[in-house]
Amino acid sequence: MFKQKSILFLMFAVVLMMFSVFGCAPQAAPPAEEPEQVLIGIMLPTTGAVAENGIDMENAIKLAVSEINAAGGVLGREIITTTADDGCDPAMATAAASKLIAEEVVAVVGGFCSGATLPTLTIYGDAGIPLVIAAANATTLIAENPGWAFMINSTGDMQAEKAIGWFQERGVETIGLIGDGSAFSADLVAITREQWEAAGKQVVTDDTVSPGEMDFSALVTTIMAANPGGIYWTGYHAEGALITMQLREAGYEGVIIVSDGSSAPAFIELAGPHAEGVYCTAPPFADFLPAAQSFIADYQAMFDRAPGAYAGLSYDAMHLLADAITRAGSFDGAAIRDALAATDGFEGISGEVMFTEENTLGRSNFVLLVAQGGSWVLAQ
Amino acid sequence: MTLWDILLQQLFNGLLIGAFYGLVAVGYSMVYGVIKLLNFAHADIYMCGAFCGLILLTFFAPNIGNTWFGIVVALLISMLVVGILGVVIQRVAYQPMLKAPRLSILITALAVSMLLYNAVLLMTQGQVRAFRTGIVDESFFVGSLRMTDTRMVLLISALLLMLILHLFITRTMYGKAMRAIALDHDTCRLMGINVHKIIALTFFVGSALAAAAGIMAGVHYGTVHFFMGFLIGLKAFTAAVIGGIGIIPGAMLGGLFLGLLEAFATQIPFIGTAWKDVFSFAFLILFLIFKPHGILGRRVSERM
Repeated sequence: MFKQKSILFLMFAVVLMMFSVFGCAPQAAPPAEEPEQVLIGIMLPTTGAVAENGIDMENAIKLAVSEINAAGGVLGREIITTTADDGCDPAMATAAASKLIAEEVVAVVGGFCSGATLPTLTIYGDAGIPLVIAAANATTLIAENPGWAFMINSTGDMQAEKAIGWFQERGVETIGLIGDGSAFSADLVAITREQWEAAGKQVVTDDTVSPGEMDFSALVTTIMAANPGGIYWTGYHAEGALITMQLREAGYEGVIIVSDGSSAPAFIELAGPHAEGVYCTAPPFADFLPAAQSFIADYQAMFDRAPGAYAGLSYDAMHLLADAITRAGSFDGAAIRDALAATDGFEGISGEVMFTEENTLGRSNFVLLVAQGGSWVLAQ
Repeated sequence: MTLWDILLQQLFNGLLIGAFYGLVAVGYSMVYGVIKLLNFAHADIYMCGAFCGLILLTFFAPNIGNTWFGIVVALLISMLVVGILGVVIQRVAYQPMLKAPRLSILITALAVSMLLYNAVLLMTQGQVRAFRTGIVDESFFVGSLRMTDTRMVLLISALLLMLILHLFITRTMYGKAMRAIALDHDTCRLMGINVHKIIALTFFVGSALAAAAGIMAGVHYGTVHFFMGFLIGLKAFTAAVIGGIGIIPGAMLGGLFLGLLEAFATQIPFIGTAWKDVFSFAFLILFLIFKPHGILGRRVSERM
């Protein structure tokens, strides 16, 4: 009896395994490629905790592709895309990059989480595939870049500059920094501290909280005791909203700035009335870009949702890539890379694009937002 | 603020965090006491309690209100619902495993934890939800100590719940039965105690308390999310071990102790917020080396 049962179970397991193997097989095979088409890879987190951002960005890229194709494609070929999910996880991102390379993509657009994008830089570099990074912007990416990746979002040092500029404009003398220990947050805290101290001013508190924590009363007590004139939160909105609420409840009246990780509208929704008057160093939201009004309308019509914080940048990234391919005059990776590097004065909806020696955006694209009446509005 | 004022404030902060830890920790301890199981799903029960409260307050606020009266009603209903969820989990997942090797039931507990966690993740699409109530939270000062109405009410109700539990365990027949089962299942059965019923009751009480803590956290912090149970579950488990796992007053004491330890660690130079968890867990290791049975762990003969 027992033996029969276990044999049955074994058979079931084998059948299940066969299904999973054969079920996967058609997916792994490269799609049939017509000579008049060109395959572009998209690498974004379309599942997991930040999937919302990833899907926003994927939509924006697809919108750009449909526009390019409607205008006759690139070098006479129609663009088709293939998406690989990086899950905002370094291990998954490595697999996603390999998958795209196996499918023989000409170039890749994407990259939301800095941590996940980092290990893929050398993989694309070794394969000779250019990568246009639409959102990821930690300064740690610069050192790892073998020259094939281009960052069209401003880097962390520019974000720190924006925050510091505002602190100084508000006459703040001492600041407190709070991070969540993630790669991006730690990078931003370190850069902000360096720049602030270089300006001859003092950082009076420097704290790191654990993601998922809810009670920050001990932190609030130390901050209230040191009483810095301004607070800069460099993590995501879940903890950011709680910290803001608990600081304001404790009677903290200084300037609070949150970084782009907290720029989601959910921050204001969670912190409620306590969010009023909180500033945010944010990426160029399509909502605040004069050149993006038709993009927003098209996006709404096509996907029936509002474009998120990074949709504008992703849309620009795809158009920039098409522009570079046209300028290169070929689908050769090295030619496209050189064309990307030579970009000067490409007009995207989020502004002009030109690259530094390090393949980063040659200007700051951060905007300063303030929470007013339950939503983010431009502060400057 | 002078250093003493700061320390006094941290004492109060620590007591409140500790009370939350304590409420969750008793659940771990009770279950360990009766069936020697580390119930990993307990942290997710806490999270389910918070969401149950959120749903009740969102949909029934017009009927029950969303100020203190409504919150108490939502709290009691959620305790009942989540208590029953705890019993269902015990009946479906743990009861058939009682005679199985200890490791099997431990893995089952992990599976239940994953199940609850992912179910809520899918239902909420991973978003953090705001927990709005109609309470206008006023700060007031006692000397230099800043308090709010909510924090006072929560601290007192948490301590009250623990006191009620203590009386229940020590002064009632059911409590006596639980303590007896902790000693020996078979003898209890011979004495005519319905062992399965008492185990179910233990899960009910433990889960209900976790739900209460979950809703209190929602009311106090104003947000709830699917991973809110993870960190507090880890801390509460630590608290239960510090207090002597299986001993209920120990779990309460352990919770308060850990809460205070964390709050004061924040004030120690070079530890601060970044290292406070490292400090707490390093302390746990040291503590267990010197006192492996926990604060109240001497009464090894009777664990409950």
